[in-house]
Amino acid sequence: MVLVLLAFEVLRPIYLSPANLLSVATQSTILIVMAVGLMLTMSMRGVDLSVAQVADASGLLAAALIVAGQPLWLAFVAPVAFGLVTGTINAVLMAYLGVPAIIGTLGMMFAVRGGELIFSHGAQPQILFTLPPSITDVFFFIGRGRILGVPASIVLVLLLMGLVILLVDRSALGRRMEAVGGNARAAFLAGVNMRATFGWGFVLSGVLAAIAGIILVSRAGIAAPRGAEVYLLDSFVSVFLGTVLSPRSNFTVLGTIGGALFVSLLGNGLTLLGLGASVKYLVYGTAILAAIAVNRLRSA
Amino acid sequence: MILQCTGVVKEFPGLRALDDVAFELRHGEVHALVGQNGAGKSTLVKILTGVYTLDAGEIVLDGRRIEIRSPTDAETHGIAIVHQDQHLVPQFDVTRNAFLGRELVNATGMLDFDAMRTATRAALDRIGADFSPDHLAADLSVGQREQVAIAAALLQEPRVLILDEPTASLSDREIDKLFDVVENLRSGGVSIIYISHHLNEVFRVSSRITVLRDGNVAGRLDTDETDRESIVRLTVGRDLKSLYPKEPVEAGEELLVVEHLSDGHRFEDVSFRVKRGEIYGLAGLVGAGRTEIALSIIGARGLREGRISLAGRAVRNVSPARARDHGFALIPEDRRGEGLIGPLSVRKNLAIPNLSWWSRAGLMSLRKEAERVTQLISRLAIAATSPEQPAETLSGGNQQKVVIGKWLDGQSEVFLFDEPTTGVDVGAKVEIYKEMIRLARSGAAIVFISSDLEELVGMCDRVGVVARGRLEKEIGRADLDLQTLLYWTTAGTRATGPTPAAEVPAAAHPAEEVPSSTLVRPDESVARPARMSPTRFLIRWGTSLGMILSILAMGIGAPDFFRPSNLLEILKQGSILTLIGYGQTLVLIAGGFDMSAGALAQLTSNFAAGMVGRIGTALSFALGGVVGAVVGLVNAFLVIVFRMPPFIATLGMMFVLTGGMLAYNGGQALTLHDLPGFFFFGQGYLGPVPFVVVLLALILALLHLILKRTRPGLRMYAVGESLPAARLRGISQARALVYGFVGAGLVVGLTGVLQTSYSYGASAVPTGLDFMISALAAAFLGSTFSRTGELDVVGTTIAAMFITSLSNGLILNGVSNLALPAIQGGILVVSVLLSVIQKRDIGQINIF
Repeated sequence: MVLVLLAFEVLRPIYLSPANLLSVATQSTILIVMAVGLMLTMSMRGVDLSVAQVADASGLLAAALIVAGQPLWLAFVAPVAFGLVTGTINAVLMAYLGVPAIIGTLGMMFAVRGGELIFSHGAQPQILFTLPPSITDVFFFIGRGRILGVPASIVLVLLLMGLVILLVDRSALGRRMEAVGGNARAAFLAGVNMRATFGWGFVLSGVLAAIAGIILVSRAGIAAPRGAEVYLLDSFVSVFLGTVLSPRSNFTVLGTIGGALFVSLLGNGLTLLGLGASVKYLVYGTAILAAIAVNRLRSA
Repeated sequence: MILQCTGVVKEFPGLRALDDVAFELRHGEVHALVGQNGAGKSTLVKILTGVYTLDAGEIVLDGRRIEIRSPTDAETHGIAIVHQDQHLVPQFDVTRNAFLGRELVNATGMLDFDAMRTATRAALDRIGADFSPDHLAADLSVGQREQVAIAAALLQEPRVLILDEPTASLSDREIDKLFDVVENLRSGGVSIIYISHHLNEVFRVSSRITVLRDGNVAGRLDTDETDRESIVRLTVGRDLKSLYPKEPVEAGEELLVVEHLSDGHRFEDVSFRVKRGEIYGLAGLVGAGRTEIALSIIGARGLREGRISLAGRAVRNVSPARARDHGFALIPEDRRGEGLIGPLSVRKNLAIPNLSWWSRAGLMSLRKEAERVTQLISRLAIAATSPEQPAETLSGGNQQKVVIGKWLDGQSEVFLFDEPTTGVDVGAKVEIYKEMIRLARSGAAIVFISSDLEELVGMCDRVGVVARGRLEKEIGRADLDLQTLLYWTTAGTRATGPTPAAEVPAAAHPAEEVPSSTLVRPDESVARPARMSPTRFLIRWGTSLGMILSILAMGIGAPDFFRPSNLLEILKQGSILTLIGYGQTLVLIAGGFDMSAGALAQLTSNFAAGMVGRIGTALSFALGGVVGAVVGLVNAFLVIVFRMPPFIATLGMMFVLTGGMLAYNGGQALTLHDLPGFFFFGQGYLGPVPFVVVLLALILALLHLILKRTRPGLRMYAVGESLPAARLRGISQARALVYGFVGAGLVVGLTGVLQTSYSYGASAVPTGLDFMISALAAAFLGSTFSRTGELDVVGTTIAAMFITSLSNGLILNGVSNLALPAIQGGILVVSVLLSVIQKRDIGQINIF
């Protein structure tokens, strides 16, 4: 992976300049938040295919509320509440009704997409940047502002990731999640509430996706329905590459962040070189297959 | 003499399972093989059936020395076995199950069902079975499945038939019938090796008995000249009291009282009491219901009746979590599967039940945890390099210590040990016994479930004997010796036996239990449709009913919907989706999963659009098919050789194909014109019928024929539906996967070319994922039509056409097509929900 990045640097010296790196880091915040949510469900042998769609809808919701002149706090609270609700529905479907996660979250993805299309009358964007700055300033601060010279979105994501790491490594819930991922039956017999634990993964993933959606719209200044859908595949690739970065080939927060940074750097590098989506997909595909092959060889 | 083994030796690391064993079988005799667990019976049988090869010794069959290196070798020598667990494919009928792996084909290469059915019927008649060859295995009782297995063995015309614990799950009536069958076979010249724990059966059916003990032959006797007591003495044969560190502990108040516990099928009316300081044994044969009793006590299984009280107070353990709070601890039978959380460290395993006690406001105190863990590791002498060592890398004994250790925090008072010493070396065994004594001394009540009668005698104060789900006998310390215990556990008090197996729902049999996390498979444990309750009716027919209603509703809303031209139009619109659905179905049948199907279709579609002008129609299709088949082969290679989960391998493939597609067309859609010959495939008409529909019908017929009437098709189903059954019949999983992936690649590759013809060109927007998802939904929805949830191409066709007609009909009804994704998503979830809602699992997927 390092080699790929160095190759970019050789080809385009601007690539590893501090300014470019900072801009890539800022861009990657959205992917990081989403991919970590996906990783939490995958660490328990689940999956959440609805992350990108939920982020998409949350951003749309936030933008629409602002355009409609609703109070600003609602533009933050309502999307997060939306993520909470979709996450909870996912939790009920998967953890309490037993729908295989791959099907249930796929259904949720479609349902949210349909809702968005109806709501936006066929994917009409909600445009914020044409509104007077007095209305949008505070909202845009997350995506565009700086705190002590550091982009606000980076600060926010560092805080969020700190919380997630605390949850995963130090909390009882995090330990239960690990146990359910390791052996759900054994965890259940040892008194772990398997359903609640499994469900929490989807709730967290929904909320994180919603936050990612807010950051996305706050930075772009426009909420184009279905605009965030590409992040689903990027998230997948980040999580899988993250397992290669982690010492024991398992799902970790830091690994996933590393994976997401790599994916963002890759995208940036390909853009700088003027290479298109075809190379991106080819690299993704080979990266996933190589990642898994390396893991298999390591464990064999 | 038909079979003679001499000097047979088989060694495993650290264990000599068979040491210079001699065994002989006369022509036309029933020879019983008895011995305790671990005496070497199953090792000997596995050598005879080619599962193991022997390290030394020789096997002589009919005076000729033979080598048995594989199950196929055993089969060619005429040695057949009926296994203890009946692994049948539930969705297959009796004929298919009986011939699985040895199917008959006729001159055209098709399966010869007539011949197979006739032979199966003859075999069933020979053993007096009362069901027809056309019954589904899922509908048979446990006893009837046993008969299917015997019939399957008979079809091989064996000269030596091995019956391994054949009565373990049979009712009295079925056992009587089985003995008639055995007698029939014997007089027909088949020589039989009969393995059983039930001595009364052995005396009833055999003419000679060989007793194994610790890998040696303890004796060979004529049944007529011996008696139960002699056999028991030979089976046990030694004094091992010294191994058990039993100390007298003064019993205190009654702590655990279990009264009239029943769960409705596995056990009935079980009552016992355990005092503080007491070790109460539960003896019985494997499958007698002891494990289920323990699971029900801690709330991991349901209870229908009964009361559990703790120190005089009634407790209701609705879940293991509640049971833990009440002070119950279970050390489960299956250490790796149910006790240990393998990938987690020793520290984390030891902390699992106590997380809430060691944490404040949800955050754990790592310091407190580390202190307790260090104490536990030294108390149990767990040999780990550090507390951070992954638990699965410990030896068996140390793993078990970890499983026990997590409950030793002083909060648990009732300990249920289920087979704690199986697969554990002697040193660790003694440690475990000592820990039980220590717990007893500290005032805990201990229930000790074991099939090792010696350790029960060595460790317990009282022992209850469980047989067929009932507590048949309680033996106090004064009367507790090996002979008595062996007598009672093998007595087979059938006369009072409670539940005839015929009344046990098929789903209750352990072999039927679906693993707690499965990749979405159709429901395997289909209950018998004796009386169909409204719920069951809805689950069975709900999907079809819902479809008919929605179609009627659309027709009423928009009368144009039912016009023949519109219906034909729907068939045309749905053809491409249906074809990709076929690819998905083929892979799913073989137990795989294909994320790359949509992307593959788009790739070959672009190739065709780019080249058809130059290379012509025929070569375009050929190219599409070849590319598809190669992609399928690579998918299969990744899954089989790298053991990659199909989901991930094909996800990676999806990316590669999408990248290749974009690289080929440079991000530009390719449009075609003036190619009437090529366009005819997608847009032409034969009379009123679109040509693509004719093509679809042909492909449907061909695939249906291959899947249902040929050997590879049958085997793909077997592998996908019941891998253990397929393996026992020597069917290769790899080959089935190759057929599935390559077949799917071929169909999908051709479909891509057809799509180009249908839409006058190829799209450059990566829509592969969406297409794949709709195709997947069609395959799953299609599988809900058949009673057993079997995937098949006909069902996929109907479902895909329904999905297409839904968008067509809704648009005709003036519904905005914006709502379509939501409706599609809803259908997908509901169709799967219907089949999983009864399983009560969590939706984990074993694909990462």
